[in-house]
Amino acid sequence: MDFLKVFDMLAWFPENISTFGGELDALFAIIYYVSVGIFFLTFGILGYFLVKYRYRPDRRGYNYHGNNIVELTWTILPTILFGAIGLYSDEIWERTKYSKRVPKPDVEILVMGKTFAWMFLYAGADGKFGRNAHNDRSARALISLDNPFGIDSNDVNGDDDFFVENQFKVPVNANIVMRGSSVDVLHSFFLPNMRVKQDVVPGTWMNIWFNSFKPGHYEIACAELCGTGHGGMRGQYDVLSKSEFDKWSDSKNAEMLAAQTPAPTPSADPAEADSTKK
Amino acid sequence: MSTAVTHSSEAEHAEHAHDHGHDHAHHDLPWYRKYVFSTDHKVIAKQFMLASMLFLFVGGAFALFLRWQLAYPGQPVPVIGTLLPSQWVDNTGAIAQDFYYQLVTMHGSIMIFLVIIPLAVGMFGNFCIPLMLGTDDMALPRLNMWSFWLVPPAGVIIMSAFYVDGGYAAAGWTSYPPLSGVINNPTFTVSGQTLWLIAVFLIGFSSIMGAVNYVTTVLNKRAKGMKLFDMPLTIWGLFITAIIITLGTPVLAAAVAMLFMDNFFHTSFFLPDNLIAHTRHGIEAGAGQPVLWQHLFWFYSHPAVYIMILPLMGIVSDVMATFSRKPVYGYKAMVFALAGIAFLGFIVWGHHMFQSGMNPLLGTTFMLSTIVIAVPSSIKVFNWLGTLWRGNIKFTSAMLNALAFVSMFIIGGLSGVFMASAPVDIYIHDTYFIVAHIHYVLFGGSLFGIFAGIYYWYPKMYGKMLNESLGRKHFYWSFAAFNATFFPMHIIGLGGHMRRIHDPSIYEFLKPIEGWNKFVTIAAIILGFSQLFLVINILWSMKYGRKAPRNPWRANTLEWAAPPHPGHGNFDRDIVVYRGPYEFSVEGRELDYWPQWEPGPSISVHHHTVVVETVQESNPFGTH
Repeated sequence: MDFLKVFDMLAWFPENISTFGGELDALFAIIYYVSVGIFFLTFGILGYFLVKYRYRPDRRGYNYHGNNIVELTWTILPTILFGAIGLYSDEIWERTKYSKRVPKPDVEILVMGKTFAWMFLYAGADGKFGRNAHNDRSARALISLDNPFGIDSNDVNGDDDFFVENQFKVPVNANIVMRGSSVDVLHSFFLPNMRVKQDVVPGTWMNIWFNSFKPGHYEIACAELCGTGHGGMRGQYDVLSKSEFDKWSDSKNAEMLAAQTPAPTPSADPAEADSTKK
Repeated sequence: MSTAVTHSSEAEHAEHAHDHGHDHAHHDLPWYRKYVFSTDHKVIAKQFMLASMLFLFVGGAFALFLRWQLAYPGQPVPVIGTLLPSQWVDNTGAIAQDFYYQLVTMHGSIMIFLVIIPLAVGMFGNFCIPLMLGTDDMALPRLNMWSFWLVPPAGVIIMSAFYVDGGYAAAGWTSYPPLSGVINNPTFTVSGQTLWLIAVFLIGFSSIMGAVNYVTTVLNKRAKGMKLFDMPLTIWGLFITAIIITLGTPVLAAAVAMLFMDNFFHTSFFLPDNLIAHTRHGIEAGAGQPVLWQHLFWFYSHPAVYIMILPLMGIVSDVMATFSRKPVYGYKAMVFALAGIAFLGFIVWGHHMFQSGMNPLLGTTFMLSTIVIAVPSSIKVFNWLGTLWRGNIKFTSAMLNALAFVSMFIIGGLSGVFMASAPVDIYIHDTYFIVAHIHYVLFGGSLFGIFAGIYYWYPKMYGKMLNESLGRKHFYWSFAAFNATFFPMHIIGLGGHMRRIHDPSIYEFLKPIEGWNKFVTIAAIILGFSQLFLVINILWSMKYGRKAPRNPWRANTLEWAAPPHPGHGNFDRDIVVYRGPYEFSVEGRELDYWPQWEPGPSISVHHHTVVVETVQESNPFGTH
């Protein structure tokens, strides 16, 4: 009965690993079943009429111009049906996307799209970001290919901020809040399994959040046309258990510490940073 | 009014055909005024048809190239791979990666700006409006001529990017900046994108000129006795579309002009400061907002979706009434639904932008307004079903295509509800689900509607009947291949397949749908080649087709009062309108149709039209 899968749209979704993903998929299912119902209703009527009223030389059509009560019925019923779908959807939309409803972050990460890669900035050992293009708009002037987040090397809070490219790791069962932007053109941060999609726009920061209940290894994609490498803008991410995540971030922190001892912040260009000092 | 001649027999009509047509023809015009720079609305309609059909095949060929790459990434294009220009393919004959993104862009742009809009609005608007209003020509014939003659230059300009460094535009048909700003180019560089902007500006200009003309003609040049609610739904569709165009297209023109300046002079309407590019902007003046372009673009382009479908909704209503021998069910409800869709079309543009970074609060607004559009759409669908009810349905090629329009519009409309629901859109936005949706509405809807219109009016256009058996073959092959091509795209989209990627095989999560991509590509190739039936039919019938009678479908609307192949000036008699356009199967009449131009008293009793001897002032039901 494998071919029946063709008619079961819901079977084609990639596995959901996000806490709100189940709700989105369920809403999809509701609309899907309503649509299938309407489909069979209208196509049933259509097919029945086409067969029953097919041309017969001895018959005539029926001169009838319509009826306002009937018109009103099929105006009001769809209004109620679709209105209900709209209002119910809005409830979920508010919970997943409204800026005020973004949960308190357990881990905060900055994500930056560039042609054609994703970059992720972690706050490091102190759990605090230094001055960068996200928390200070004027730091946008520091953005360069070597320093995509516009990190100010003079801010000590930023000394332990580290970034990774085309991959990130997050702990399971934790609220991950990302602030996303881009250094050049539009990209769209797409985590298919996490049911997350958000365009990132240069010059603006977007809230992206999720909470995953299932550890594993998954893929990142770009969903907004961004140039000739758009299709290849693939990354990967891991959802790790709490202890594994801590182990990974500790090792990253140690790496940063080791790198700092000879020269401060290799990730920022000191010459450019100095020129903007007030 | 009393002097109007009443003809009731077909034969009599046909006799008059040729002599009268020639009376009006202007023999003194030189050939280039007759066939090239003609002000005759019918010639202009044919010009729109031929030019757009040409582009239909260019756009279709581009679609097949990109389908090939998606199903068989990196494999040489079969048969013609090595013959293609070196900018398009690598040396093995496989599609070059940068050309793939040009294909995506040009397929969309050509199909929307140079095929569907010119066919739906340019061709049918020009052909139907004066004829169905019973008048000799448009109100402003010379403006009409110019509205066509801006399209070929636009087509040449957009295609001439072949000779430009970097090739065709590659930022998608939506041309979102900063990508469409082509920020890596120095200022004053003409890129494919620059040419795209110029071409779209010209096409917009052509649309506006056409639309102003349509509104003027409908309001001023209706035949004597024709009230607005005596107009066929085709005219209502085109009239409302023309209003949308006059309100929406100037916004697109303004946005395109601004993007052109960003692209060519590197201003910053849409480009934020401190972008990383190989060359810095010429002017680092301000902090532009890329999302602003999306607002302006969709403020036009969402109504443009209705520009592309409202005329066809009208045409399909007319075709369905004629071939079911029944009045359109709920004529006024149909008009109000058209107007409702047009109005709502202007307040829903944000549903293209749920994930764009627009304030999610606006998502709520746009989601609710978008979902309301389902209401007038379902009114239309139910009224079409009501039109079939107790009819006497004849399955001609035109009718088959009209039925395809209705059924595919139902599917396209339902898949629209998924995207209208913003939380569901989070996942399916920018996936193949939306590609499936747009093709169900624009191909399954608009293009099948256009086919229906071509099959329906071809006899009046060329004075020859189209070949029915070729027409049916064209329909059955197209319909089957269409569904095989686009229905699986819903599944591909749910698998997560992003739009506009050149190689799905590199993603693990897209492995389960690989087979579907191949299936779709094979179906698309069949779909493309089944259009040859239409082309052969059109060209063959032009010369060898059976001669068309004056009113081959026994329809009611005024264009069938004109000679089979009307000359300049259209009509060979005075036209006076006595009734609405859909008086089929009236009780008490021998014929099952009652043309608008034939006099005769009737009354309306409980939504039925009844023939009477004389209409009395005191009739309790009033005159029709």
